Amino acid sequence: MSISPELIKTVTAQLYERSLKKIPPDAMDALVGAVQVESNDTARHTLRIMIKSAEEAEKSGQFVCSDSGVPVYFIRIGTQVQFSGNVREAITQGFDELVSTIQPPLLPHITHPLTLERGYKGVGMPIITFDLLDGSDCMDITCSPKALGSGRWAALEIFSFPDLRTIEKYILDVVARAGSQPCPPVVIGVGIGGSFDYAAKLAKEATLRPIGEHHSEVMVAEMEKRLLAGINMMGFGPMGTGGDFTASAVHVNYAAGHGFTPVAVAFNCWINRRTRARIFNDGRVEFLE
Amino acid sequence: MTIQIHRMKFPLSENDSRKLRAGDQVVIDGEIIVTAGLPTHQRLIRCLDGLESLPFDLHGQTLFHLGSYCQAKVNSEGNNQLEVVYINPTTSTRFNDVMPRLISELQLHAVGGKGGLDARSVQAMREIGSVYLSFLGGGATLHTQSIQEVLQVGWSDMLMHYRLMRLRVMGLGPVTVAIDAHGNSTYHDAHTNAQARMDQMMTFLDGARDQTPIN
Repeated sequence: MSISPELIKTVTAQLYERSLKKIPPDAMDALVGAVQVESNDTARHTLRIMIKSAEEAEKSGQFVCSDSGVPVYFIRIGTQVQFSGNVREAITQGFDELVSTIQPPLLPHITHPLTLERGYKGVGMPIITFDLLDGSDCMDITCSPKALGSGRWAALEIFSFPDLRTIEKYILDVVARAGSQPCPPVVIGVGIGGSFDYAAKLAKEATLRPIGEHHSEVMVAEMEKRLLAGINMMGFGPMGTGGDFTASAVHVNYAAGHGFTPVAVAFNCWINRRTRARIFNDGRVEFLE
Repeated sequence: MTIQIHRMKFPLSENDSRKLRAGDQVVIDGEIIVTAGLPTHQRLIRCLDGLESLPFDLHGQTLFHLGSYCQAKVNSEGNNQLEVVYINPTTSTRFNDVMPRLISELQLHAVGGKGGLDARSVQAMREIGSVYLSFLGGGATLHTQSIQEVLQVGWSDMLMHYRLMRLRVMGLGPVTVAIDAHGNSTYHDAHTNAQARMDQMMTFLDGARDQTPIN
């Protein structure tokens, strides 16, 4: 028994399409909850339109946002998994086929970083991160397309033996700089420690954690809670035109490192694009989100 | 406070523009021009510099930072007609450097998109009598429902969402007046308040951190 490239192609393309046409349930719940507590009239009005927009898109099979971003996949491969062909090639082909068949069609967002030419293909596309799942017989795939709106505002800085206060101040500064621009209410992912590249990965993974789920360590969970409360004192509000609800979650992941401590901060906009599926050795597919 | 919703005819007149206040909501009927391209804005500046001609007259018009996907469709008379499949805002702060000149020299009484414009545009908008309208990012389905017709396409040589699209819309919105013609900017206010509250936020975090048990 093995996972075929054909199946990987189909599932990864489906995950991308689904991520464009609906928002995850946790993002919807966060908006519905926010309407109850938001004190600013305009902000409450904006939240209601957000809910309506997501519902209409899902019902009519249209995109929630016109910017479909670039295809980004996070894949964890079970160590018991067998493949009957090439994996990266399958995902690339799946995206190419999706580009030629998806309705409505996608705009050309894949950009050559040196010439700024745009199209549907590019070096390193789709962006895929691979990881391992010890002992598992499935391939766990998360798709989270990224666009400029929220992607532009991620930041990373490296500190030497920072205390928690320094780290938290930096996070607030990055959020304040993004301000009205990343289509709030945002999900904020923070990665602390490890190395330069690993902190960024941790932050990105933190944005994928479902809203409302806290870090398993009390110290980190409490940090997430106070940062969320602090950030929601800023007043940017939905779409940044003022209000209480600037962020729907702050998720912090960390890894041990040396005394130099990278702190990375990444954002998801309110639509929080994320879909996830598992493919098993026996060909079973389970769509989780 | 109740929200004021105004249904208004576009392109917006200077007079109508000056009637609006930051925080009001507007429902748009009439003609708008949209583009999502930075190269388009740079090209518009070239036009103002006399190096190229505008594809159509933009004076007194409405310019929104909205990207669109269009395709040809056969209409009821059997003719090919352009149809907007979807439309959605892009981040306006990307155009901060060029917008003051475009607003002033083209007398744009309404601009918009998402994320706002900086103080230089706020000043130009005050002088000209212009508002900035905030569209819902991720509102593609709702925004698209209001589009009646593609009236004109400028610069078809550019990427689809960079082109200047003149559209007829009915009931687009409601959108939020985020910057008004009287110098009020909800973005400026939010940013200023956030900076002013930074000490307060840090004091709050310090207090909460002191209460936290170490694992």
